[in-house]
Amino acid sequence: MKVSVDEKRCQGHARCIAFAAQVFHIDDEGFSHEREGFETVTPELEKYVKKAFANCPENAILISD
Amino acid sequence: MSDNNRPGLDFDFHGKALDNIFETYAEIRDKCPVGHSERYGGFWFISKNNDIFAAEQDPERYSVAPSMLLPSFGTDIPMIPIDIDPPKHWEYRKILLPLFTPQAIRKIENGIRMTSRELAIKVLESLRHGPTDASSMFARPVPTIVFSRIAGFPEQDWPKFDKWVYDIIYARVEYPERAKNAAQAVMDYFNDLLMARRSAEPREDVIQKLLEARLDGNPLSQDELISYCYLLFVAGLDTTVWAIRSSLWYLGQNLEDQRRLREDPELIYMAVEEFLRTLSPVQAMARTCLADTVIQGQKISAGERVVLVFGSGNRDPDAYDHPEKIQIDREDNKHLAFGAGIHRCLGSNLARAELVISLKEFLNIVPEFTLAEPSEQWHGIGKLTIRMN
Ligand code: HEM
Ligand code: SF4
Repeated sequence: MKVSVDEKRCQGHARCIAFAAQVFHIDDEGFSHEREGFETVTPELEKYVKKAFANCPENAILISD
Repeated sequence: MSDNNRPGLDFDFHGKALDNIFETYAEIRDKCPVGHSERYGGFWFISKNNDIFAAEQDPERYSVAPSMLLPSFGTDIPMIPIDIDPPKHWEYRKILLPLFTPQAIRKIENGIRMTSRELAIKVLESLRHGPTDASSMFARPVPTIVFSRIAGFPEQDWPKFDKWVYDIIYARVEYPERAKNAAQAVMDYFNDLLMARRSAEPREDVIQKLLEARLDGNPLSQDELISYCYLLFVAGLDTTVWAIRSSLWYLGQNLEDQRRLREDPELIYMAVEEFLRTLSPVQAMARTCLADTVIQGQKISAGERVVLVFGSGNRDPDAYDHPEKIQIDREDNKHLAFGAGIHRCLGSNLARAELVISLKEFLNIVPEFTLAEPSEQWHGIGKLTIRMN
């Protein structure tokens, strides 16, 4: 599974880091980015990334197989 | 939809109307998901989750001028940044973003904990003598004190803030004069405070950030500064008070969930999201439609007022399983309590931290409690009388 944050959509609700802080980080203005090296999600993190995906109010988290 | 029994004709989202608003929402979602109310000069309301979301994502079509508030908050001056459209909106908003990131809020969590703890201990002492108002002793002071601290408003002035907030936000519907007077008092207060801070030692707080900000090389004018402070004041205090109070209101009647949160405090993070979804302080916000638009078959003309009913979208059966049920461990909980799009609540990280920490401390210190006055409503910032079980 691959993950990224759509920077045009992200508005900084920070729900993603509540579920998967290993994968996302928030910059100094509050916007989220996928962490370097975590664009491909390892199987043990998948369930957290899926939760982040389901709870992002802006639909800004993109996942693909 | 032209007969006189048209549902939604007197749809309102303030005061008494909130008593049974969830039934009203179910009715309008069903019968007129986009409908027209004659209140407050007339407005269209949008009640479905996906329609609200789409409007939030389209600031070109839905302007926040003349104000997001309907009726206005005791002032006709546009409030920064909530009543400002792009491109200027971003210029104002970015000034304060760094102070409200999760990492910035983490630094003040300890202070929130200490304040919550001290106040919860007072609630406990009072409960030993009988029923106690958890609103005035806990829900109201926590956010007011915490916010004053980061904003740079003198902390000891909180009882004054508390009174002003009440007049501006809750008295405005019935007594617009009282709201106007309170609004003027708050602006005068900030005027003096800002003047004093210009010559004082720099500190690390919101006022300092606003004083140091430059837009195209120029500082904000005194009017802009006052408008920004005023908005933070009305956006940051009563909302969080309401959210804490409504969470306690729910827990006072649902002892099984109260026990569950005591046994597993980590669950409070999820419970808070569910309380925000179902009992949120901001039930709706207004826009002005700038172009002729059709939603759900209804035509809205350019220039008409539109109200995005977050509280209804948050209980939309097309968006949630069993939407009316408060499930404190709900897993997928993408809600509209803080809005979405470019005006997403600037204080959402702060509000979430205050909610989680204050509820944790409250449950930690105050033993099992129930509501002593079951007629007290879920909404508002009025009394919440509790007693020990
Ligand atoms: C539980 C508490 C709170 C709730 C439910 C809440 C809710 C909201 C909502 C719904 C909006 C409008 C978003 C939209 O129309 O898309 C908003 C905007 C705003 N809120 Fe909050 N809020 C809360 C607490 C706070 C706090 C503590 C602050 C303090 C800084 C704050 C500051 C703001 C500001 C500055 C805006 C305007 C943002 C903009 O226009 O860019 N809010 N809030
Ligand atoms: S939850 Fe969504 S909108 Fe919020 S910071 Fe994360 S990616 Fe951005």
